[in-house]
Amino acid sequence: MTSMTIPPVQDETSAPFWEAAREGRFLIQRCPETGRYQWYPRAHSIHAPHARPEWVEASGRGELLTYSVVHRGNQRGDPYVCALIRLEEGVTVFSRVEGVAEADLRAGLPLAVAFHQLDEATSLPVFRPRTPD
Amino acid sequence: MIDLSGKAAIAGVFESPRRDAPRVHPFALQMECILGALDDAGLTLKDVDGLCAASGDWAEGGSTMDVVELAEYIGIAPTYVNSTDVGGCSYILQAGQAAAAIATGLAEVVVISYAACPRWWPLSSPSFDPFVFPAGPGQYEIPYAPTLISTYGLFARRHMDLYGTTPEQLAQVAVTFREHAAKNPDARLRKPITVDDVLASPMIASPLHRLDCCVVTDGGGAVVMTSRERARDLKKPPVHLVGYGAAVARTQNSQIPDDLTTPAALSGPRAFAMAGVTPGEIDVAQIYDAFTITPMLALEDLGFCGRGESGAFVADGNLTLGGSLPTNTDGGGLSSNHPGKRGIFTLIESVRQLRGEGPGVQVPDARIALAHGLGGTFCSAATAILAR
Repeated sequence: MTSMTIPPVQDETSAPFWEAAREGRFLIQRCPETGRYQWYPRAHSIHAPHARPEWVEASGRGELLTYSVVHRGNQRGDPYVCALIRLEEGVTVFSRVEGVAEADLRAGLPLAVAFHQLDEATSLPVFRPRTPD
Repeated sequence: MIDLSGKAAIAGVFESPRRDAPRVHPFALQMECILGALDDAGLTLKDVDGLCAASGDWAEGGSTMDVVELAEYIGIAPTYVNSTDVGGCSYILQAGQAAAAIATGLAEVVVISYAACPRWWPLSSPSFDPFVFPAGPGQYEIPYAPTLISTYGLFARRHMDLYGTTPEQLAQVAVTFREHAAKNPDARLRKPITVDDVLASPMIASPLHRLDCCVVTDGGGAVVMTSRERARDLKKPPVHLVGYGAAVARTQNSQIPDDLTTPAALSGPRAFAMAGVTPGEIDVAQIYDAFTITPMLALEDLGFCGRGESGAFVADGNLTLGGSLPTNTDGGGLSSNHPGKRGIFTLIESVRQLRGEGPGVQVPDARIALAHGLGGTFCSAATAILAR
């Protein structure tokens, strides 16, 4: 796995997310008023703007929504897969898909979160194939 | 509310014929374009009291106070300025807001200016646009190193999955605009291409091949706007801004709507309503084409075809000179000119078409033109409808 070298600028809002990621847990946010999930994390609920969202651990399971394999236009080595993944909780996240041959990529592919150690402060969630439930 | 339709007009336009400008600073190129557009209108720098620019990107030579630097460089002290940067369509948004400023007396003669020289620009200083900055919302995406093209790839792939759009239909967009560029002596690429050529070109970010991508040029252009009354007596026949709309919606890939609706679905209806025309009444369109998928989604959001139908719409020849909606008659960004934010060229080519001055293919007796752009990766949109 090459080419992931840019560390996120972690802040007050995102600290719990990155802390959990270092422990191998993928957190998303839930609105305390509506019970709806949101991604990406914010300091407020997009469903009830005066409410502070709460952190919950996601299942880490989802499926591939769409993808693009980056072949050129980057200086970072081998092709890699940028993707949108629809989590079981209903939110869509942007990440990498690893461990799937390009010819086997397709919408609906079952995926599960894994973690890529970027540096001491950062584990980046990525997605790998899983056996369907 | 003031009825803005037709209150302001484009009196002068200029697109630099340059596609390579080695060691020309973007400000020098902007000055060439500004003087060219003023000369086209029969005005001089002394007439200008408004300046619009959005050149904060590094290859555009600008800083975040770019419009101030540019005013100093060209030697004016404008009392109306707008440096709103919503990406490639910024200049269409600025035209709409300039029309409002002119209609309300805030400004009398407004110049909208753009140039960038990415082909030679030597600095790798960091940009702070949302597609490279790993902080705030971007901290959850930028570490994965998405490229701009790969984000368009996400849209294109999903369009194929949802609607059965084919790589051949995407390629037809590039083929059609190349046919138009072949007639434009200033176009960057003029040699006709086939669908097979597009599909055989190297994959950049799937499903987009090299020939699904715009050219990279050094270039620039300028537009001069003034009131309907003042424009009437200038050098060239005025082209009136009769409809305008703009919207911004997202930056992060995770926020892409499931059905791929873009902010053009907001900007377009506002522009058509202001103009009092329907999509069927547009004689000629200039629609931002950074990649082949780019104008396709706009065609759907603007109502030229139904959701998911743009592939067939393009393949049926609607965008050609003899089609229902001749589009990107100068060759567009895919073949003619794309320094980075080509929205200004959609205004310029619209005006040329309405005057019968198109450098590529010319739509006979065009009366109503549409200029539409997006910003970023379908993050923003601006639509202008222009009429003689």
